Amino acid sequence: MQGYPAGVHPPPGAHGAHYGGGSQYRPAAAAAPYGGAGGAPYGGYGSPAQGVPYGQGPRGPSAAYAGGQAPGGPYGGYGAQPQPGGAYGHQGPAGNIPPGVSPEAFQWFQTVDTDHSGFITLKELRQALVNSNWSAFSDETCLMMINMFDRTRTGRMDVFGFSALLGFMQQWRALFQQYDRDRSGTINGNELHQALAQMGYNLSPQFTETLVGRFAVRGGRPGIQLDRFIQVCTQLQSMTQAFRERDQSMTGNVRLSYEDFLSGAVQRLM
Amino acid sequence: MAYHSPYRAAPHINAPPDQGFLWNIFQKVDMDRSGVISDSELQQALSNGTWTPFNPVTVRSIISMFDRENKGGVNFNEFAGVWKYITDWQNIFRNYDRDNSGFIDKNELKQALTGFGYRLSDQFYGTLIEKFDRQRKGQVAFDDFIQCCIVLQRLTDVFRRYDTDQDGWIQVSYEQYLSMVFNVV
Repeated sequence: MQGYPAGVHPPPGAHGAHYGGGSQYRPAAAAAPYGGAGGAPYGGYGSPAQGVPYGQGPRGPSAAYAGGQAPGGPYGGYGAQPQPGGAYGHQGPAGNIPPGVSPEAFQWFQTVDTDHSGFITLKELRQALVNSNWSAFSDETCLMMINMFDRTRTGRMDVFGFSALLGFMQQWRALFQQYDRDRSGTINGNELHQALAQMGYNLSPQFTETLVGRFAVRGGRPGIQLDRFIQVCTQLQSMTQAFRERDQSMTGNVRLSYEDFLSGAVQRLM
Repeated sequence: MAYHSPYRAAPHINAPPDQGFLWNIFQKVDMDRSGVISDSELQQALSNGTWTPFNPVTVRSIISMFDRENKGGVNFNEFAGVWKYITDWQNIFRNYDRDNSGFIDKNELKQALTGFGYRLSDQFYGTLIEKFDRQRKGQVAFDDFIQCCIVLQRLTDVFRRYDTDQDGWIQVSYEQYLSMVFNVV
C-alpha cells in the first residue's frame, strides 16, 4: 500500500501542471556525481568543519543576541539606516529598551515597524531588507525568517524575535561577503560549492550548480543573492538534519516509506 | 472514482470561461498594463476569504506553474490556466469548508486529501495543519490549503519517480534526498 494517489492526481494538478522548479532535479542527475562518497561512508555531509563560523549549524543562531553592531556596509542588507536620535526622536529614552535587546536592534525595530503595531509583518520585513543591488528580499526568504523568529506564533515578529533575526542576518551577511570572492554581489556555483564545503557539506559541484540555477535572479548576474543564499543554506541545514535523523547507522543512505518521507520534508521545510 | 466527486459536483467549471469575461478580469488585475500579471498583481487580486493578504508563496507557486518563459508573470493566454486552476481549488475548498468560515480544520483537510486519493495517518494531518496554518488558528485558510496541496503533490511526484517498483518505499543517498526535498523549497 503506497498511500499516495494511485495513478491519478488531485484535480487541479491534473490539467497539465508544469512545475517551474521540479524538472531540474532528475534522479539521473543526482545519481551520477558522487561515486561512493569517497571511502568514508558518512562523507562528512553537513557535519560542519570545526572553526567555521557556523560550526554547529546555525538553526537559530544562539549568538544572535550578542550582536550590537548597526547593520550596514557594502552589502546593505537593510533599506535605510536609522538615524540615531534624529528623525525618530519621539522614541522613549534608552530605558524603554527591553532586556536582551541592543539599542541598535531596538532602533531598527522602530524603523521597520512602520505602523507602530509592536510587530513586524511580512510586508514590513520585505520593505526593510535588500540585497546588494537594492532588490527586495524574496517573499520566500522573508517568510522563512518570520517562521524562524516568530516567537509569538502569530505570523509576525516581536522585538525579541527581530533582534535575534538581526544577529542571524549579520552572521549570514558576513559569510556571504566572505564567499563572494570576486565581490560581484552574487555567489556563483563555484563560490557556493566552496562555501558549502567549508561549512562541512560534502556535495557535488553539479548539485550546487543546480541550486544556483534554481535560485538565481532571472536575467541578472549568474549567481544567487544574499536572500537566496540565506534561504538555501538554512534549508540545507534543516533538510540535512531530517536526513541524519533517518540515517541512524550513518551510511549516507536511507530507506524511507512514503509517509516518513513526506513528514520529514514537511516538518523540516522552514 | 472517489476523487472525482468534488470536481464533478460543479459541472460549469469544466466549461472554459468566455474569453471576453477573462480579458476583462485580466485587464483589471494587470494594473500596470504591462500585458503580464506579476506576483504582486495577482496577490492583490486574490482573496483568501479572510482579511489577510493572500499567501505570497502560494502566488509564486501558481505563477511558476503557468509561466512558460520564466518571465516572472503570466500573459493573457497563461492567465486562463491560472484562472481555471484557482477556480477549481475554490470549488474544492468550498466543498469542504461546510460552515463557510474560510477555514478548514484537520478533519476536513483529511476528507479533502482522502478524496484526492491520499492515505495518510492522523498524525501526519496534524503535522500538515501545524505547518500550513499561517494564521495560527489550528485550521488552514484557502491560500494555505492550496500551498499545502501543492507541496504534497510535488513531494509525491518526486517520491514516485524514485519508487520505481511502486511499493511505497525508496532508498536514497544524502544528495538524492536533498534534491528531492528541494523541490518544495
